[in-house]
Amino acid sequence: MREPEVVIAGCGVISAVGCGVGPLRTALQNNASGLRASEKFSAPRFLSNIVGPAPRNPDDDNPAWFLAAEALQQARANAGRALATIPAEKTGLILSTTKANIEALERISAGRPCSETARRHLRADLLAADLAAAHGARGPVQTVSTACVSGLVAISQAAKTIQRGDADAVLVVGVDCLSEFVVAGFTALKALDPQGCRPFDQDRSGLSPGEAGAAVVLVRADLCAQPAIKVRAFGGSNDANHLTGPSRDGSGLAQAIRVALSAAKLNPSEIDFVHAHGTGTGYNDAMESLALKTVFGEACPPVSGAKGMLGHTLGAAGVIETICCVLAMENNFLPGTPRLSHAAEGTPPGLVREPRPAARLKNVLKLNTGFGGLNGALILSHD
Amino acid sequence: MTEISIAAASTVTGADLPAARLGQRFGRLDLQSQLALLAVASLNVNFDGLPRDRTGICLAASAGSLSTDVNFWNGRHAVGGPSPTLFAYTLPSAAVGEVAIHFRLTGPNLCFVGDDKIILPEAADLLRRGEADACVCIYCDVVTADCSKIISLPPAAMARAFFLKNGGGGICTLPEFDRDMKALSAIIFQTKSAG
Repeated sequence: MREPEVVIAGCGVISAVGCGVGPLRTALQNNASGLRASEKFSAPRFLSNIVGPAPRNPDDDNPAWFLAAEALQQARANAGRALATIPAEKTGLILSTTKANIEALERISAGRPCSETARRHLRADLLAADLAAAHGARGPVQTVSTACVSGLVAISQAAKTIQRGDADAVLVVGVDCLSEFVVAGFTALKALDPQGCRPFDQDRSGLSPGEAGAAVVLVRADLCAQPAIKVRAFGGSNDANHLTGPSRDGSGLAQAIRVALSAAKLNPSEIDFVHAHGTGTGYNDAMESLALKTVFGEACPPVSGAKGMLGHTLGAAGVIETICCVLAMENNFLPGTPRLSHAAEGTPPGLVREPRPAARLKNVLKLNTGFGGLNGALILSHD
Repeated sequence: MTEISIAAASTVTGADLPAARLGQRFGRLDLQSQLALLAVASLNVNFDGLPRDRTGICLAASAGSLSTDVNFWNGRHAVGGPSPTLFAYTLPSAAVGEVAIHFRLTGPNLCFVGDDKIILPEAADLLRRGEADACVCIYCDVVTADCSKIISLPPAAMARAFFLKNGGGGICTLPEFDRDMKALSAIIFQTKSAG
């Protein structure tokens, strides 16, 4: 029996470029960057103070809840009637996060005030359960934590949940917050660019942490009256090579792309645009460029990345960057690569610096990779 | 519907770690990764006979990586700053990465935070969809004393592993209805000891 198709019926986002899908679309069309210097991370113990903060109360003890709930509220409103007709029992929720409300650990350790709810949301599974209860999802609930690939895995899991008949709609929400924990960790790894990340640039030297809440509403296609972007296929793999460094030859990511293409029954030439992981670290961008060359050869489609705009939002990255793809597909343009000045040697020939109008983007490939050698490739399609 | 079987099962605890012989890197892993790796090694599966790119890993961790998070954060004032090595383990999927590296498994991965009831259905789904031919399933229940003080879970140091493959045979076929690795382990090990 043929599995039902799954479409993206609504999106919501709060990020370094503002609150709402509108500000994100505007930023994408203008190649704007939300990265800026932060006083909070200006102490010498941090390698960089350039981060991508979202508009939120800096004194909030539960920013993960705030960001996730805001994104979910927007996405549900954006989905409108498609979601309204589906009962709560047939609506699931999948949370994508790496650190949940890590703010609570910092507060508890420092003896600062921390509410019981903020402490509870240190546990990602409880954060997911509470978000589901608050947003009318009484169907299946999952908490995906596959490093920086979490968002794509969560979207894939949501599509499978619908295809299996376990739900008719799934709210996917990705969230991670800027924290001393994360910035100190990437400082320890010497993985931050003091000047702010410059994905695919010849002078790139690391990433910039960001924070975001990003949500998409996935529904069974026949329940969505409006034409919508399809979640077509996902491919996953592991480099089995190194815990924090990607494979040098890009073979793991290339494998994930090929699995996704095969599942989508598409040839490489049918991909119209690639939205890259593009962290701005030396190894990641080189590996990703090699993976694209392996799969697409010299005929690589246009490629760009959003981390120079949003920072690396970890568990939210896959979801917010998928929303970037949806916006590009709906509005017929190719997003650029903010903060890129001089493309490094070996980067894909189709690297898009500045946004530009495009013919209809029928099939778009979204890539993410993460610690632990994890790779993910998601294909979105228009009819 | 394709039959899926449990070909091997194992359970390990913190008490099993001192006797583990899993290479020089093993001592540098965090507790969750050590237990996960030891549980998979205790399955005694010969991965050499399997296509590595068609073998998946599906893991759930009861408390995510919070025990290592607490350990990392408590060490932030150490001379030289917080540990870069430990930071790499502040993700539940670090244990997935260590299992993949040790056994050279390059297939698809899933990693969840929560109880063990999600693993077997999701791993079985990978096989039924043809995304993998076999899958290593791991449940980690790791809560250190320091972590237990912060979250509402009792201290624990345990990992359970199952090896799922297409077809019959093995210890038993995967029951459609049974999602509980703990209950299933009890039946499997009771059957083994009786046999």
